[in-house]
Amino acid sequence: MQEYKVFQISKDEIVPLAERMKKNGVFLVMVHGFIDKEGRMDISYDYAVNPVIESYHVVGEMKVPSIGSIYATAAEWPERELNELYNVEFEGLDVSKRLFLPEDMLETQGKGQIMVTPLSELVEKNVK
Amino acid sequence: MSYIVPIGPYHPALEEPIHAKLYTEGEIIKDAEVFVGYNHRGIEKLATERNVIQTLVLVERVCGICSHSHALTYAMAVENINGIEVPKRGQYLRVITAELERLHSHLLWLGIACHIIGHDSMFMHIWDEREIIMDLLEKLSGNRVNYAMVTIGGARRDIDDGLKAEILAGLEKLKAPMDRIVEIALNDKTIALRTKGVGTLTTATALELGAIGPHARASGVDVDVRRDAPYSSYEDFDFNVPVVESGDVFARVVVRALECYESIKIIEQALNKMPAGPINLGNKLIKIKEGMSVALHEAPRGQLSHMVVGNGTLNNHRVSVHVPSYKNTPTIPYMLRNNAVADAGLIIASIDPCFSCLDR
Repeated sequence: MQEYKVFQISKDEIVPLAERMKKNGVFLVMVHGFIDKEGRMDISYDYAVNPVIESYHVVGEMKVPSIGSIYATAAEWPERELNELYNVEFEGLDVSKRLFLPEDMLETQGKGQIMVTPLSELVEKNVK
Repeated sequence: MSYIVPIGPYHPALEEPIHAKLYTEGEIIKDAEVFVGYNHRGIEKLATERNVIQTLVLVERVCGICSHSHALTYAMAVENINGIEVPKRGQYLRVITAELERLHSHLLWLGIACHIIGHDSMFMHIWDEREIIMDLLEKLSGNRVNYAMVTIGGARRDIDDGLKAEILAGLEKLKAPMDRIVEIALNDKTIALRTKGVGTLTTATALELGAIGPHARASGVDVDVRRDAPYSSYEDFDFNVPVVESGDVFARVVVRALECYESIKIIEQALNKMPAGPINLGNKLIKIKEGMSVALHEAPRGQLSHMVVGNGTLNNHRVSVHVPSYKNTPTIPYMLRNNAVADAGLIIASIDPCFSCLDR
């Protein structure tokens, strides 16, 4: 079983951490996100510090710095995805183009609706 | 003369939809952009309203090629959260299925690559030999696409002595044709002319963009989750990780062809060293404990990650699936630059993209 370690960090630590990891040749596994049970945004930066997966969480922030300048597209794509799904703002990230969601959906329903709206409501909206 | 040449989202050289814009000068591509999201099915959203058994079925359908990889990775993430230790025999069965899946995936890609460059006799030869693996997967799991071999806490089907002998015989039967395929791939003039020096991704760019899997290994990046962060008993097996430095389409052919031999080696070891005991823990429907975990698996195309968040109920609170093509697709524009428009289809296909996986 792979070891998975969780750490809490502040948003000010995101960039220095990413710089340190990149300098040490550590791969960024992914930038994930979800709404926790208290309704706060939880953004996690998962690094493959082999053989351990280290997961650094920033909780309760909807505006964080982008690490796209450090990890290039490996960070930009998941950041753009989180922007579409949860409307998290990544400072310095270009979000002028869509990534996964259709343009007409983004125009009519806006960002950040998919993962927070119950499935039944989404189906109802779609049927209408 | 400058042109913008659109490719896709639907194009004969693409197995799945992706849209690329090629900015050309004459026949040469000067820059490119790729657009994805044409297969977005809301899998992650659906997973938030499903229990573990339903989610295993759901995530297996993220991709038709690496279906076992998704079920395995999701199961490992849930097992991490709940502290479930999979019986050794169950782990070996998972490895055998995963390596058979890698074999069929790599042979499928090698065939498609030959088809795209117009070497159709090679394409048919490779796909004919691939049927040996498809038959073995069918005998092992009862299925050719979605194997349903994984359950939370182990594997769903066992291998008896008869099936073990059949799988070993099947792999033995594949070895001579594999030698012939590799010999042709390495020495055929047509393949060399169409692939050598085409679509090059340098080691520095691969590292900068975070490329993974065989695509990265063909650019000199020595990375493989099975060796670097072992899981499911991969540490028990002796295997090599082929790495080639030239970074062109030819290197991607070589890496995938050599990896087929390593997969055969791993399956043979797993079958011969298979420990006795249960294949699973008899788990039925379980609640996912409060907590979260990320599991990694070296899928045929590279590192696959599933993040699962549990909230103490039967359903997932969040499942986040990120596939190798997520990291490898952004490398396409870099590989296309300064290549001929006629090679664009081959270069895009050379990362072995899975846009169905990518879009989820």
